[in-house]
Amino acid sequence: MTEVPETGWLGSRRLTTILVIALVFGAGLLVVGFGPVRLAGNQQGYEPTQPIAFSHRLHAGELAIDCMYCHSGADKSRHAGVPAASICMNCHKNVTSTFGAFRAEDDLAKKEKRPPRPIISAELRKLYDALGLDDARKPDPAKAATPIQWVRIHSVPDFVHFDHSAHVNVGVTCQQCHGTVQAMDRLRQDSDLGMGWCVNCHRTSNQTGIAGQPVRASIDCATCHH
Amino acid sequence: MSESDPKLITSPTDDWSTSRRTFLRAAGFTFASAMFTGCQATPIRHAIPYLVQPEDIVPGRSVYYAGMCGGCTAGCGVLVKNRDGRPIKIEGYRDHALSQGGVCAVGQAHLLGLYDSLRFSSAQRDGQPVNWTEVDAEITAQLAKIRGEGGAVRYLSGTVNGPTARTVVEKFLGGFADARWVMYDPISSSAILDAHERTHGVRVLPRYRFDKADVIASFDADFLATWTSSVEHTAGYRSRRSPDDAAVPMSFHVQFESRLTTTGGKADRRVRVAPSQMGALVTSLAGLIAKRAGTEFAPAAVAAAETDVLENLADRLWSARGRSLVVCGSQEIQTQVLCNFINHLLGNYDQTLDLAGASNQRLGSDSALAGLLEELRAGRVRALLIDGVDPAFDLGAPAELADLIRRVPLVVNFASRNDETAAVSRFVCPDHHPLESWTDAEPVRGLVNLSQPATPPLLNTRSVVESLSTWMGEARPGLDIVRATWEAKVFLRQTAQPSFLAFWERTVQDGFCTVTPEPVAAAPFNAAAVKPKAEAVPAAAGQLELVVYPTVGMLDGHHAYNAWLQELPDPMTRVTWDSYACLAPATAKRLGLAEGDVVRVTAGTPDSPGPSLECPVVFQPGQHESVVALPMGFGSRLSERFANVGPQWLQSQPAVGDDGRVGRNAAPFVAMRDGARRFDGNPVQISPTGRSRPLAATQLHHTLSAPEELSGLGFERRDIVRQTTFAALHAGAGHDGHGAHHGPSELWSQDHPVTGPKWGMSIDLSACNGCSACVIACQVENNVPVVGRDEVMRQREMHWIRIDRYYEGEGDDVAFQPMMCQQCAVAGCETVCPALATLHSEDGLNQQVYNRCVGTRYCANNCAYKVRRFNWFDYPHADRFQNLVLNPDVTVRSRGVMEKCTFCVQRIQEARIAARARGETIADGAIEPACQQTCPARAITFGDLNDPNSALSKANEPAQISRPGRGRHRAVGVVPGGRPESRRRGRPSWLRLHPYSGCRSSPATRRSAR
Repeated sequence: MTEVPETGWLGSRRLTTILVIALVFGAGLLVVGFGPVRLAGNQQGYEPTQPIAFSHRLHAGELAIDCMYCHSGADKSRHAGVPAASICMNCHKNVTSTFGAFRAEDDLAKKEKRPPRPIISAELRKLYDALGLDDARKPDPAKAATPIQWVRIHSVPDFVHFDHSAHVNVGVTCQQCHGTVQAMDRLRQDSDLGMGWCVNCHRTSNQTGIAGQPVRASIDCATCHH
Repeated sequence: MSESDPKLITSPTDDWSTSRRTFLRAAGFTFASAMFTGCQATPIRHAIPYLVQPEDIVPGRSVYYAGMCGGCTAGCGVLVKNRDGRPIKIEGYRDHALSQGGVCAVGQAHLLGLYDSLRFSSAQRDGQPVNWTEVDAEITAQLAKIRGEGGAVRYLSGTVNGPTARTVVEKFLGGFADARWVMYDPISSSAILDAHERTHGVRVLPRYRFDKADVIASFDADFLATWTSSVEHTAGYRSRRSPDDAAVPMSFHVQFESRLTTTGGKADRRVRVAPSQMGALVTSLAGLIAKRAGTEFAPAAVAAAETDVLENLADRLWSARGRSLVVCGSQEIQTQVLCNFINHLLGNYDQTLDLAGASNQRLGSDSALAGLLEELRAGRVRALLIDGVDPAFDLGAPAELADLIRRVPLVVNFASRNDETAAVSRFVCPDHHPLESWTDAEPVRGLVNLSQPATPPLLNTRSVVESLSTWMGEARPGLDIVRATWEAKVFLRQTAQPSFLAFWERTVQDGFCTVTPEPVAAAPFNAAAVKPKAEAVPAAAGQLELVVYPTVGMLDGHHAYNAWLQELPDPMTRVTWDSYACLAPATAKRLGLAEGDVVRVTAGTPDSPGPSLECPVVFQPGQHESVVALPMGFGSRLSERFANVGPQWLQSQPAVGDDGRVGRNAAPFVAMRDGARRFDGNPVQISPTGRSRPLAATQLHHTLSAPEELSGLGFERRDIVRQTTFAALHAGAGHDGHGAHHGPSELWSQDHPVTGPKWGMSIDLSACNGCSACVIACQVENNVPVVGRDEVMRQREMHWIRIDRYYEGEGDDVAFQPMMCQQCAVAGCETVCPALATLHSEDGLNQQVYNRCVGTRYCANNCAYKVRRFNWFDYPHADRFQNLVLNPDVTVRSRGVMEKCTFCVQRIQEARIAARARGETIADGAIEPACQQTCPARAITFGDLNDPNSALSKANEPAQISRPGRGRHRAVGVVPGGRPESRRRGRPSWLRLHPYSGCRSSPATRRSAR
């Protein structure tokens, strides 16, 4: 029988030392760098850069466009839906830049005594590129249409089946879960979307009702897990 | 472990410090990994919307398209459930005149073929992918040459009855001097058509109206399962088999058969007959009927044993003239002529046998096929086009057919997969999957289906009519071809719609239309054609006869690529993933064979042996003792893909046999005789090989009798399946006091108060015929994985619903009992779960929460019904193309998680949300679980037990209703629609069931005692 070595590089003292250092370092990281401990997968506060710098503050806040103009599935389907580029084009076929940019160009043109030039903002050009359109918003055969890859912010695990329509149709406002979207330039995940958060709201709503109406928000597991 | 690696050795003398060290290691690792897991950001996910929003798609909402099932030639109407542009489920179509809401197992499963990554993804030349332009150029050039020089062009297909396909193929063939269209059906009904040509002067298959028949006599016709149009026949038959409906009298059904079919299992009287004696039996019946009709006919002597049955049957048939139906599954033309004669004497034509609206579901001609084979052997065929059939497999002579096909100068095959014939065809021009193309069919005269594509073609395939049009020099998209045909041919046959546009749009939406049937030029009955079948030579004692039969899952074997169907247990033998030879237990005993013994089955007599194959033996009670029954459709090249199906681990065994295929092909035993391919009656020898092959059966017990010695040891004998007779039912008998409960009673106090709906299910065992459509429907709906043969043998199959089959006595009496989670009110599983992963919902469901389950399996051990399924592995979902079939509403479970039926809770949620959005309560019938939705026999009723007006409450009204869990476990949810029992039965399986479970009750009602 081979002799069992008392110590190797994985021997007790060295390993223990390393582990203790790692633990202290890790604990320090947790306290300093990451704030309160959160569960894996909790992305509250997630605010990624999007391929097009779309501003909810401008559209939903300043221009007061109804949420469901773009997220038209919210009262019909599980998914509220990210709008198709064709929905953007309902307005941006004509609106190619901000009001300020147009006015500046108008002023400049007046000063230079020339007709104002068409302006296309850098962000909207990305939209037109995605649709394969040229500057006159006409299909450009040289450009391939490529779908826009938005970065998904709100997502729940695959074993959770959340349904937007069930909530929207009983009067839950968008802001109740998504926060003051109309004030966000770049969209941020407002709630933690965890099960405790869901169930708390279901319980509270059963007591208080929603928008003055009594509701029955089920807290059965199979309501979401199936 | 190697001696040179001392670190891996742990010494038994390790002291405490070493243990502490180990502890610290583990603790450190745990902390560190927890820390890093907690810090890890979720990978970036994208949300990619449409560029241009399609009008009718709301992401996350299902859209249903009316269409036609392409699983076989029966032409059932279906609704295709589309989610985000991809078909995810085939649903029954209630308004369709043929299928009436039913879809069979194959219809449900053929969806998987759409997402088959081994489908041809482009045209092929000599087995190599090649682009369409090149193929078209070569084929067009060769066809032009044939047009100029002459030469035989043959179009070989299965039954094709669509107006468009017929028009295009006929036009294509019309361009050649010597062209002929040869149709054959792998499961042939050629003899019925040929018999009608003799007796009625027109080669036609009548439409059988089981819904109009008071008395049914069937000679070896398995019309509820695998005959010409099983879903249609099941619906018709079932409409006359409800013992409670006083307005519609229950029909009386006598079945004469050689092997045990599901149809025979449902019959009121069942008689075992050797295939060779079937003709004589039909002759005898014809004689008895002729005597009553006063018609001249020389009856043969009646076999003594059957005299009483036949006399009784003749009386019943005669008194139900015009309301009776005699059907025959034999491929002997003379027997079929006799069957026509009986129906003619009974005045059943144009009553229960519809000739004006005759069936087009089987048009094949075996003699035409034989003619083509002769031509091929003579080398006279210049071009052969093969559409939808696999002759090298179907005819059981792959080597000979391969040789013949290779000798034809131009061979074009429209096959979707590399089957036996496609492998030797020079050109393969793959057809679309039926869900990808515009297709039509006229399954019965006057009813035309139109099926729009449910998805654009997923692969680089092309429909047959498009290919043919291209080669005729008039390439057009499939839609244009179909539309033009409909405008020219179908539109003119109807008067309801004045404009073609309105007619077209209406039909596309409905999926079918009713038009004036093309007239059938039936001549008056030609009595001269009727000749008594010569008395069959009494078979030599011990001489075995072969029966080759289709199973509900495999049918003709063209779906052998389909893992769902391979894993579907046969309704009778309960075997998966294999073919076998069925023997009556007495025969097997005489031959000294045990179940699973591999035998060599050799056709012919010892002097002139024919083809042979080796397969394991299955005991089949109820089968005639002289019969060896072989299922067909196995041993296909398409099953070679299953070499690695199921989890691969140390002990796993392949699903395929030594030859790399699932089962063995029985087609070589089908012999051409007297103008038809004969599936039965051929003499056969059996010899043991001394080897054995275990069978992957999902039900290991066969009888209902609990061993006496066990009941003496305190094991209680209780009913599992109960049956009664019609007379007893209406006499109010059969209530045995401690049997059926009335109403939704509970053993324990109701501690789960239900204020809203309380979901329940009732299953009418009088209606269930074991067709297994529900099993596949559930599998598709709930993302149930396929586990493979080896795992099935370990009893780890994952089906959430199974159909238990019980024999009584010698097997002439069969009961089918669908079994799924009974949603027990206070369930054994719930009380033992340490993780609270299974618990009751407000609406009476026994929920299973996958993400909470830690896999203790206590619940399954405590389940009375063995309906819980455990994920022993992460069943593979590596095929991303195939994953498109997954239902996004249902979680794909991972390893270590328990799962089971929850009455399709995703459908309940969907209906609840929809109703709430409209401010309504859920309407009765708005929720149909997948099993109920597809059931051709309408055996399943689902609904709210708290609503006294629901269909479910009505179905449960008869006092005889009992629930399977009466006694110590209460099943509140599922109520196998009960009738009182008149015969007590023992608990069938003390092997499989929990000792305390015992009492499942069930009620299949028959017209009379056997």
